Amino acid sequence: MPAIECRNLTKYYGDVRGIEDVSFTVKDGEVFGFLGPNGAGKTTAIRTLLGFLSPTSGGGALLGHDVTDPAASRRARERTGFLPGDPGLDRDRTAAAFLDHQAALRGESSRDALVDRFGLDESRRIADLSRGNRQKVALVAAFMHDPDLLLLDEPTSGLDPLLQEEFAALVRERVDDGASVLLSSHVLGEVAALCDRVGVLRQGHLVAVESVSDLRSRGGKQVRVRVAEDVDRADFELRGIMNLRVGETVSFTWTGEYDALIDLLSGYSVLDLDVVDAPLEEAFMTFYDGDVPGPTGSGGTPRGDRAARDGDEQRDATASSGGESR
Amino acid sequence: MSDRPAPWIAIARYDAAGRARGSLVVTGLLSAFLLLFLAFFPSLSTAGIDLDAYVEAFPPAFQEAFGIIAISSIEGFLAVEFYQFAWLLLVGLYLAYLAGGTIAGDVASGRMDLTLSAPVARRDVVIGRFLGLVPFVVLLNLVLPVVAYVGVLAVGETIAVERLVAVHALAVPYHLACVAAGIAVSTLVSRPGVAQRVALGALFALFMFESVVASTDYAAVGDVSPTAHYDPSAALVLGEYDLTGAAILLAATAGLVALAVVRFRRADLSG
Repeated sequence: MPAIECRNLTKYYGDVRGIEDVSFTVKDGEVFGFLGPNGAGKTTAIRTLLGFLSPTSGGGALLGHDVTDPAASRRARERTGFLPGDPGLDRDRTAAAFLDHQAALRGESSRDALVDRFGLDESRRIADLSRGNRQKVALVAAFMHDPDLLLLDEPTSGLDPLLQEEFAALVRERVDDGASVLLSSHVLGEVAALCDRVGVLRQGHLVAVESVSDLRSRGGKQVRVRVAEDVDRADFELRGIMNLRVGETVSFTWTGEYDALIDLLSGYSVLDLDVVDAPLEEAFMTFYDGDVPGPTGSGGTPRGDRAARDGDEQRDATASSGGESR
Repeated sequence: MSDRPAPWIAIARYDAAGRARGSLVVTGLLSAFLLLFLAFFPSLSTAGIDLDAYVEAFPPAFQEAFGIIAISSIEGFLAVEFYQFAWLLLVGLYLAYLAGGTIAGDVASGRMDLTLSAPVARRDVVIGRFLGLVPFVVLLNLVLPVVAYVGVLAVGETIAVERLVAVHALAVPYHLACVAAGIAVSTLVSRPGVAQRVALGALFALFMFESVVASTDYAAVGDVSPTAHYDPSAALVLGEYDLTGAAILLAATAGLVALAVVRFRRADLSG
């Protein structure tokens, strides 16, 4: 029995598309990542699976229980933990009171261990806690009943890097103990570090599902080259070159054969050359930008987002235009 | 697993605990308000003014709105100055307002996501949130009769204990109906601030409507208002206890909570 089964799941808010025709399966014991920018539908998908939203069409099952049947969904939630990125907590209650309440609703077999591990001071009022500490409260609530399935929606937002590491370790332990995980993030590194497979959501559509190891092997090479001559951008706009940036240094992701790269560079006096495995993020962008059939007419490719984020030299104008339009 | 309480009990308990301090503060303030009015009574009754003749000159709708039967006796004075205003209107509106923020507030803040990610039925949430306000209603109606009784003695008057108990016993179904109305609105209107104002405004509008039609041929139409079924003046001044009204209010309470359950069961949690 798969941990999660999502069948043609579609959710519209009135006329506004949340997700459309999303199908995937999370196998028992698997860590599946949902990757996509904010507004891509990650949260909608997770909240529909939890029964918070009723699907416009399609359906799904958590731990074999139909998510559209309230009684069945409740049985699934008995063994499910949910951690939202920005949890709604009662600001005027103490962490202890909130966790006592959550414990009464779902159980608390490993509460004390988690509170100790994350160094949470339960006696404090939630309003007086920092964002990171509030996230810890929700984290303890999500994990304390030792669920078989974890739905983690942007779980590490608000956690400092050290705590992110501790959180990742906790997730791995739970997976080793047999739990299955659906984790959403807009940070590839986080997903890649934890997940077996990644599903890419874009504008409500699941546009690709890839195993992380496949993604790595298909990633190509990250090339940075400095040449003596002035470079004409057009000379580098070739098949096999992605993420091209032309400045003092020319950098791009190379997905073709080495010989072709050598042929290309032979026309220049190379002053400095650096060829390394593309970081997964580059690999992902390459893959995302080129091969993935997405909805037409969208200017907002991830590559544009990335260029805008990096804010560096000469960007590919077409890729970056409309990058913030979502 | 088996040692966990039923979800609706857990939700009611958590909610009531969160309201404990506020409930005590409001109870204290209303007690002070009651004592303040009682302190005025001796000077009023010895002033030699025929207050009953004065209030009889008010228009019928006004008399109806403020439940004015007689004002010169301690019962009439309490009924007009405190129960009709504070208990019927003020507390009723406040309870509707509080309840209006419950479900809608939880959904909008994301608290509902955490509650419902546990194995909890939507029905349990509605019932738990309703019951979470019940201790406040009970507290008010247990403390204030004692305060009123002691206050009346303190100003050198006496009052029938039975009538004082009755006016509070009959207030409980009325207050519960106000809470239930607020809960129902909270499942019908998604924005918590709007839900609170709608609940409060609707109850106030019904109260005014009932007051206006009471002195016309269409008085029966005013029965749609919960305020038509709780008459502190009749209980205090005349010793008439509207048990039918109490039964209607309890039935309305059950009906409104059931409506809230039906509504919330189908609702998408999006604020």
